[in-house]
Amino acid sequence: MFHGIDPRSPIPLYVQIAERVRLAIATGTLGSAAPLPSVRQLAAELRVNPATITQAYRDLEAQGFVEIRHGAGTFVRELAPGRRARERSQQAAVLVRKLLAEARRSGVSLQELQRALETELGVKTT
Amino acid sequence: MSDAIQIERLHYRAGKTFEIKDLDLHVPAGSIYGFLGPNGSGKTTTIRLILGLLRPLSGRITVLGDPMPEQHARVLARVGYVPEQPHLDATLTVGELIDFQSAFYPRWDQARANELVRSFELDDDQLFGRLSKGQKAKLMILLALSQRGELLLLDEPTDGLDPVVRRDILSALLTYVSERGSTIFISSHLVHELERVCDWVAVMDDGRLILEAPLEKLKQGTKRLVVMDAPAEIINPPFRVLTRESANGGSAGENWVVGDWEPGMTSYFEGVGASVRDVIDLDLEDGFVELLRSFRDVKGGVRR
Repeated sequence: MFHGIDPRSPIPLYVQIAERVRLAIATGTLGSAAPLPSVRQLAAELRVNPATITQAYRDLEAQGFVEIRHGAGTFVRELAPGRRARERSQQAAVLVRKLLAEARRSGVSLQELQRALETELGVKTT
Repeated sequence: MSDAIQIERLHYRAGKTFEIKDLDLHVPAGSIYGFLGPNGSGKTTTIRLILGLLRPLSGRITVLGDPMPEQHARVLARVGYVPEQPHLDATLTVGELIDFQSAFYPRWDQARANELVRSFELDDDQLFGRLSKGQKAKLMILLALSQRGELLLLDEPTDGLDPVVRRDILSALLTYVSERGSTIFISSHLVHELERVCDWVAVMDDGRLILEAPLEKLKQGTKRLVVMDAPAEIINPPFRVLTRESANGGSAGENWVVGDWEPGMTSYFEGVGASVRDVIDLDLEDGFVELLRSFRDVKGGVRR
């Protein structure tokens, strides 16, 4: 679930970690009431500051994705219908923004991008 | 939040050539504080000053609320220290060294020592002199963690170790921090390793502190810019110019590296008839190298 966390990225680690958890919730990898790894366990596993994990979990709690039960752990909350789907479309938008930024930086045009997408998928997109 | 270590206007000299000048450091309690700098920049000397092993010419050092070196006995009982070179008796076994060390620390945590012997795969009966470099480093960390220190001072704890040992040591440290909330002060020149774990960083060069800042602030605020039509003189920019040089002999503008950058600052360039073509993120290592480069240029009188 946390594969490819990048400490060298300008995106703070706690944001990256929260993003991964949100994605896992959106895609159903983490279902309702599923426990998240403990702060201690995840800090040692990812070799990051425990404060980073705590910050990520607090953000997820503030956004209504998880519930922190003191002494027991952190658990995925029951989500309103449609929330997982909305979260998935938001993730899709994030991916597309990344792709477009990368294309712009390397001078690839929109048309070229679309053609490449069609080739990869094997279908016309328009 | 109070500071675990506070250093003010510290001055120290050893011989004729090396000195630490006007050093100010503030290590927040509960932080993981990365102390960066090239070899010979004064990191180890600073750590020895913090521990009261050296006496400063002037200035003030406060560790866990007590002045150093005056209160060293009180302070050292609450501080774990891992020196760069392990200095234990080579003729004692791992088990004997653990027993020996435990006698000095009233709050010794034998359960943790046992647990770490197991997870680090150390052998109680092996002589210290026969251990590999990685095993020696693990034992040093084990001894420091089992003291239940409120503050750990680690001098290049993973330098020259293989990646597997480095991982094991870092994981043990982080587990300790999540359980006890201690402050960790790590000196290192392995920038990438610190980028994962630190919340604060300081950079030393030539006995002086170049920078002390929260890691995220340093990372967010250091950028490489591609600037077109930049005037030769710039006056009072809202950011710090670390370096600037022409790209491709000037035809592609100039490459700047800036500190204290914020997103809206491109408008400064429009105000002076220039434009920013690109703002590129730097990781900690790039930022560290550029900081040192600009510090040395200014010191050497090469102002651009």
